[in-house]
Amino acid sequence: MSRAAAPLQWLTMGLLAVGLLGLSPTLSLSLLAFGLAVLTALKLREARSLEERRVVALLQLVGAGLLAALRPELGPSLLQGLAILMALAGLLALELGAGPDWKALLRRSLQVLVAALPIALVLFLLLPRLMPFSNFGAGQGMGAMTGLSDSMEPGSIARLAVSREAAARVAFPLGGAPPALEQRYWRVLVHERFDGRRWRSAAPRLPRPPAGQPTPPPPPPATPGEGIQLWLIEPSGLSAVPWSGAGRPLSADLTLQRSGELQNRAPGSQRRVYALTQAADQGDWRTEPPRPIDLVLPRGENPRLEALATTWGRLGSNRERLDAAGSWFRGQPFRYTLEPGALPRQAPLDHFLFETRLGFCGHYASAFTTLMRAAGVPARVVSGYRGGQWVQPVGGSGYVDLRQADAHAWSEVWLEGEGWQRVDPTAWADGDSLARTLAAGADRAGIPPWDWLQQQWWGLDIAWARWWLGYDSEQQQALVRRLLGDHRHLLGLVVLLAVALSLAASLGGLGWLGRRRSGDPLRLELERTLRAFARQGMAPQAGETLPVFAQRLAQRWPGLAGPLDDFVGHYQRQRFASTPSRMGRRQARRLGRVLRRSLRTGNRSKEAVQREHP
Amino acid sequence: MISAIGAVLLGKEHQVRLALACLLARGHLLIEDLPGMGKTTLAEALARSFGLGFKRVSFTSDLLPADLTGLNVFDPGAASFHFQPGPLFSQVLLADEINRASPRTQSALLEAMAAGRVSVDGTSHPLPQPFLVIATQNGLDQGGTSALPESQLDRFLMRLSLGYPPRQAERALLQGEGLRPDDLSRTFGPEDLLELQARCDRQHCSAALLDYVLDLLERSRRQPGQGHPLSPRAGLALVAAARAWSLLQGRDHVIPDDVQAVLGAVCEHRMDGGQRGERDGELSQRLQAGIDGLR
Repeated sequence: MSRAAAPLQWLTMGLLAVGLLGLSPTLSLSLLAFGLAVLTALKLREARSLEERRVVALLQLVGAGLLAALRPELGPSLLQGLAILMALAGLLALELGAGPDWKALLRRSLQVLVAALPIALVLFLLLPRLMPFSNFGAGQGMGAMTGLSDSMEPGSIARLAVSREAAARVAFPLGGAPPALEQRYWRVLVHERFDGRRWRSAAPRLPRPPAGQPTPPPPPPATPGEGIQLWLIEPSGLSAVPWSGAGRPLSADLTLQRSGELQNRAPGSQRRVYALTQAADQGDWRTEPPRPIDLVLPRGENPRLEALATTWGRLGSNRERLDAAGSWFRGQPFRYTLEPGALPRQAPLDHFLFETRLGFCGHYASAFTTLMRAAGVPARVVSGYRGGQWVQPVGGSGYVDLRQADAHAWSEVWLEGEGWQRVDPTAWADGDSLARTLAAGADRAGIPPWDWLQQQWWGLDIAWARWWLGYDSEQQQALVRRLLGDHRHLLGLVVLLAVALSLAASLGGLGWLGRRRSGDPLRLELERTLRAFARQGMAPQAGETLPVFAQRLAQRWPGLAGPLDDFVGHYQRQRFASTPSRMGRRQARRLGRVLRRSLRTGNRSKEAVQREHP
Repeated sequence: MISAIGAVLLGKEHQVRLALACLLARGHLLIEDLPGMGKTTLAEALARSFGLGFKRVSFTSDLLPADLTGLNVFDPGAASFHFQPGPLFSQVLLADEINRASPRTQSALLEAMAAGRVSVDGTSHPLPQPFLVIATQNGLDQGGTSALPESQLDRFLMRLSLGYPPRQAERALLQGEGLRPDDLSRTFGPEDLLELQARCDRQHCSAALLDYVLDLLERSRRQPGQGHPLSPRAGLALVAAARAWSLLQGRDHVIPDDVQAVLGAVCEHRMDGGQRGERDGELSQRLQAGIDGLR
């Protein structure tokens, strides 16, 4: 057992612990992972004998595998890879004895990992997908982590802190293009339920599929030419996830609600990746007729507001009412601020509309929607994200970077014949952030280096999500169809064969690497040179040293004395002197080549001489 | 230096070199040969060229340990004993015909060789430095000899056999062209020898070279019927001698050629158990042929 074994195994434990940090504790599988890690650490603490240490190494590998199933994203995957590398090095340190040092151990363990790649690739490409682990009995999402929340009561918020925390990223691979900046409204929640003060989402929570029930059939894949929006969201407590409002989900655990909310079966407390198509036409939810709940307004809460809206209610159509409200809004000195101060409990919206006229998006959306309902127009509040920065990472495809500061709320009103229309009253207010962004230009100049690095990382992250996590069962089936055509029943055989082949290739490669390592490059060079001489009938005698053999060679080929001296001298110095030169290998290769070439040319000239003078 | 001694010992350059290497490696030398082959001349020439004290003891069957080490003598004037050093207290000691002495005397000598000091009546007396014993022994087939046991043979770093000089050299000898050891001028001092011995220890032995030595040792232990296996002390002796040899070759590192040059002298007497075979050096040559010397 090498002395490096214990530090390596503890290092692995540390890496696994870091990997555990990102797990949602509500997931039963992550509890299993926590338990396994604690067990392994305790076992490592008490392990003395080689057998116990072996058990620890195997537990660590199982733990890393479990983590890999739970966290397939790029960052955690790298961490898991590192942990597996260390665990393997620890195992090798146990098995290989005291000989190899850290560097040799890590190199060998890297070789083992690389040798396992073909098998991993075969399994990844061909083995039928399990359903995502995150579908197993997940608990409720934790409390609000984002700038969005199920319920919205802007009047109670005196001051809104701007958080630059990352919220989500969306990319448009397959030729899809991001919408123009002023059209970037990413909807998440639809608040239809209003009690006079607070807006709530009306969509029913999706029941978790009971264990054992087959997953719903996957939706049809995107047809070629159809654009795709690929989302990568940070953990949030919400079951609704952002989307562009146009398109069709490509994953079975996403459901589109009638209200236009995209509901997610997986818990929101983990990062996740999902994809939708990107349709040019608007979705069905826009033409879904309003429900009674979209007109509900507790009377008497805000009398001045109701009085104002009643005047608009006499107008003939919803469109006219909307236009009247819009022009009224634009005529008032509203100002956008993040520190509007709290509104009174009594008639808060009256106070906002007619007294302070200070607020952020929540105030405007809430007040405007209430006005519309009071005027008899079906209306609701939608929250989500607005804008987002278009980032073009070096050497990658671009994506829109959404921060919590981009959280936004706006209104949707029902217009006959047009369906649900987006109205953003905040845009009418003075000092709106989007207006400022538009004025400043989309590019936020002067990105700090840390942000720049983070954006590059996210670029990689999203590429990983696209190529690696995006390879789902549909693509797999397509590949199988392409490979096997009508003989799909042979899949098992093919997988078995491919695994066996890659296993043989891996083991062969490992063996070759091991052999190559034992014969060092200097010696290989010598042997190559010796073979060249052996072909001319000169081989070293048993136990003969190189200088002695070289002397014999020089006697037979006096012309070779110079190159022989150079090669042998260099070889001997490399081998036996106290300070071998750094470039020794390359130099030996060069000198060996010179020697062999002079042997060939010397022979040729000799043959030529013999031909001329037989 | 070597040529100077070579002028005394005509035609024996290799043996002179080995003897010198033995001296540099702080080892002791066993010369096995017939009388009249120049053993004494070699010992004296070595001693002289380093300016070392030289003594000679002819071992006979009645030689006692005290005759070598010296003894406490009562001094009537001081009314006390004082130590009278024996011939062992010299820098180069020629122990002639060591195998004619009794085993007890032999072992007294060999203990002094190993420990570098002599104990008489409970007092330790350090021997002078450097200290080199050149022992000669006659062939075991000659009368009045008792063989040195293997354990004592192991303490000699090298065994040499001078052999007859080549015809050319012998002609020069007969013509009186050779020098006598007395004619040698002192070229080095004892402190130079100590310095050279220290430099020997600094000669670089690379891992590849040690591997070569280890392969040799391992092979000697694995091959039954090819002589006695080599002890770890034999390995130490081999490396020390090879270091000295490489220094004599003017290199600062040891190569397998150095090991091969001293292999016969260092290992043959440890492998054949004192029974010299028909051909001297056969066992070590066979050993050498079994190990890849190219490295």
